[in-house]
Amino acid sequence: MGVKEFKLPDVGEGVAEGELVSWLVEVGDTVTEDQAVAEVETDKALVEVPSPYNGTVKELLAEEGEMVPVGNVIITFEVEGEGDEPTDEERTSAEMEAQESEADERETGDEAIGAAGDGEAVAGESPEKGADGEAETPKGRVFAAPSARRLARELDVDINAVEGSGPGGRVTDADVQTAANGQMESEVGEPESESDSGPREVSTGEKQSAVSRRDGQSAVNGSAGAAASAEAAGRDRTLAAPATRRMAEEEGVDIDDVPTDETRDGEAFVTAEAVTQYAQAQREAREAEMQAESAETEAEATSATNATAEGVAERIPYRGVRRTIGQQMEQSAYTAPHVTHHDTTTVDELVDVRAEYKQLAAERDVKLTYMPFVMKAIVAGLREHPILNSTLDESDPENAEILVRNEYNIGIAVATDAGLMVPVVKNVDKKSILQLSREVNDLASRARERKVTREEMQGGTFTITNFGAIGGEYATPIINYPETAILGLGGIEKRPVVEETEEGDEVVAANTLPLSLSIDHRVVDGADAAAFTNTVMEYLRNPKLLLLE
Amino acid sequence: MVVGDISTGTDVLIIGGGPGGYVAAIRAAQRGLDTTLVEKDEYGGVCLNRGCIPSKALITGADLAHEAGNAEEMGIHANPAVDMAQMVDWKDGIVDRLTGGVEKLCKANGVNLIKGTATFKDENSVRVAHGGEGQGSESIEFDSCIVATGSRPIEIPNFSYADDPVLGSRDALDMDTIPERLVVVGAGYIGMELSTVYAKLGTEVTVVEMLDDALPGYEDDVANVVKRRAKDLGIDFHFGEGASEWRDSSDGGITVVTETEDGEESTYPADKVLVAVGRSPVTDTLGLDAIDLEPNDRGFLETDDYARTDIDHIFAVGDVAGEPMLAHKAFKEGIVAAEVIAGEPAALDYQAVPAAVFTDPEIATVGMTKAEAEEAGFEPLVGQMPFNASGRAMTTNHTEGFCRIVADEDSGFILGAQIVGPEASELIAEVALAVEMGATLEDVAATIHTHPTLAEVVQEAAENAEGQAIHTLNR
Repeated sequence: MGVKEFKLPDVGEGVAEGELVSWLVEVGDTVTEDQAVAEVETDKALVEVPSPYNGTVKELLAEEGEMVPVGNVIITFEVEGEGDEPTDEERTSAEMEAQESEADERETGDEAIGAAGDGEAVAGESPEKGADGEAETPKGRVFAAPSARRLARELDVDINAVEGSGPGGRVTDADVQTAANGQMESEVGEPESESDSGPREVSTGEKQSAVSRRDGQSAVNGSAGAAASAEAAGRDRTLAAPATRRMAEEEGVDIDDVPTDETRDGEAFVTAEAVTQYAQAQREAREAEMQAESAETEAEATSATNATAEGVAERIPYRGVRRTIGQQMEQSAYTAPHVTHHDTTTVDELVDVRAEYKQLAAERDVKLTYMPFVMKAIVAGLREHPILNSTLDESDPENAEILVRNEYNIGIAVATDAGLMVPVVKNVDKKSILQLSREVNDLASRARERKVTREEMQGGTFTITNFGAIGGEYATPIINYPETAILGLGGIEKRPVVEETEEGDEVVAANTLPLSLSIDHRVVDGADAAAFTNTVMEYLRNPKLLLLE
Repeated sequence: MVVGDISTGTDVLIIGGGPGGYVAAIRAAQRGLDTTLVEKDEYGGVCLNRGCIPSKALITGADLAHEAGNAEEMGIHANPAVDMAQMVDWKDGIVDRLTGGVEKLCKANGVNLIKGTATFKDENSVRVAHGGEGQGSESIEFDSCIVATGSRPIEIPNFSYADDPVLGSRDALDMDTIPERLVVVGAGYIGMELSTVYAKLGTEVTVVEMLDDALPGYEDDVANVVKRRAKDLGIDFHFGEGASEWRDSSDGGITVVTETEDGEESTYPADKVLVAVGRSPVTDTLGLDAIDLEPNDRGFLETDDYARTDIDHIFAVGDVAGEPMLAHKAFKEGIVAAEVIAGEPAALDYQAVPAAVFTDPEIATVGMTKAEAEEAGFEPLVGQMPFNASGRAMTTNHTEGFCRIVADEDSGFILGAQIVGPEASELIAEVALAVEMGATLEDVAATIHTHPTLAEVVQEAAENAEGQAIHTLNR
């Protein structure tokens, strides 16, 4: 049996990390190749991650809800046949067989890695060097890929102190990660690994977190030093003067646990100074631990207070699609000065036309909505007022350009469970009402199922948001930046309007459609907005004009 | 402050727009830092304007002419005429495209470009004097600074580049006629590259070198391949002789006088003399006194693994930061400096810097030689493949040279390689990757290489080291 590691694959172009939403397997499960093992949500989509192997799930290395950088090992499998990538454990056991005499030392070895704050201690306890000081690791050089080196820097791990598990002792990303985890544990004063209480933390490779982590580490380094030297040596036999033994007893320390470099007749020898130092280090370590614990409790208390004080029912992580939407909205709102132009048009004729053709469309299996008519009216408006069919290219801030587009690609904002998605209907000017209807329905339903591709959400020149479908008259749509305009549709409802008749003005009930057009005032002027809206309204009032389009 | 000075501020100030500087500027700007690049001369630095690119252009031109004129064996009978002025024009076109590209890239990434010479006022500001009389100056305050001022050719006594018959490497790339006789002072890589170019274009080339041999720094068997070929091309070598002066001669040309250590003089007739004795870092224009930063005794600014000088927020990259003076080393350092400034965990922890010499045949090396590996405490295992056993090499009609791989016997890790032969500069990339990745001989040997290609020599050398070679006898 071999153990295979599986790294979070690149789940989409340019996606650096994903939230591990849920595990679809448990430790011990048998999986077949291509079976989905986890659901990962990126800022673009929810994807299932398939197993590359036939085998048994050995370890799950990320927790649900955790952000995992692409390339991190998230799961390991037991696979029939020999393993190409022996894990630490395997390697260790192989070495233990080969070097039985070292077995004891090796058992404390894991803890030694926990004390990685002290580079020397780790190097000294690496199994290769343990035997005769003759380093198996090539002298003075660590073999590792540049990516592993960078990871080590990100996690603030000294790669020279990492034991490599790759071919010939090459240091892999996983080795670096393991060393980093060990380092973390030692720093919070918990040398005992919690490996059996649940999956290991692996999601620390994120850039920002790496930086903050560095800072965090420097803050705890002081106590880490103390903790390192407070490490119990755990010998079976120790030589010491009787006075020293008594002193140890008084200090409450086990003489076999006091670290020492000195030997007599090949046996470890402990001096009085060593006992004092060790006792002192232990006290400090305990204090640090207590401080850390109380800080943690305090932090928990504070966050709990926040939660209850403001009556928070649920804390939803701000990430994935939600965060992407948020960032886009923020960029748009704070970049483009928005002005919203409101108007209302009567659409009695449109209602009739749609009712009439709805039947015909149904016969062709198409559910006809108002949307294609509005899209056509918008294209007519954009043709007359091209400045609204533009995007602002600020990629070179010095030489920003308004790109007036000659294609009519209309984005339709769709509310989905995951949040707002804007699939784009391309070349609206070249498509028939039925074609548009079909395409809008298809895109909208796939958006709700989150099956719209990235490409299908790109290339828009103008966007429609139909809040009226849910209810409402006017709103302030936020522009789908870098586009320069967005039209919001209120609900089509009968509202009182004044009609001029021969008998005089009369208030009648007419189907009306409220429109809210937001423009980027840097590019589009209010007059253009009004003129464009007038054109759109004219077409909506007289839908037969659309036949001429 | 000088009257009329304008003072502006920037996050990162970069002095010098060569490979180290422009790369650093673009990366810093990509990281969202307000970045200002000051260049006194031409964007692209030595590499683009008077080093790598122009020399490689002329080398290609000269090779083509020489090959075409020497291919009777293949049934090609030609006597190419070389219009040197046109070749130089063609080369200038390439240089212009590239330098223009650098400028555009900088601008497109939002780097502020300033023409002028920057001098430190104190640890957080420089004064930039714009070129030319009355162009004024401005002060720029910075949070971080990257010094990337590069290097310039060393001048030797009695050979001033201002004198017409004395050529620096730059002039040698700008000649519109091919000299009949050329004396080259220096048999380092620049001297050897340019000697080869002119020998192939029909010039009678004499090389004088103070040291005992050509291409110091390369192993004898590597250098010998190149020297042998150079001799075949008609280049005349004189070692142990230093150039002492030149004078006009009665035939309208010049006479170059050399001297041995014992004071023995020789004279060589020539039309031009090319001095290529090395390059020295440029630090004298920086006003380093004002910031209490001193170059080391070799003139370089010393830096740590983060490209930092002794002053924490002042970085140095490229030639000015020490050897090897190679553009790709400068690229890497520039990136690291910019990323460190941006707060990222970048560092210069590469395992080896590949180097290439564009002689005929080319030399390219990466990592350790056998001797260096021994010195570092490894037990080196060496595998070698001669190009004359490579099918592809035979079909290119270039079979001189070999590929040698040095590995650690214990682990099989590849420690380095020396390749001398056709396209060595390209082939070395594979071994550079192997060294960086910590690949073993087995990894390389077991990677399928395209047949028939020159790259097979790398695989064969790895197999040879393991005693598994098929196409050559194992060591």
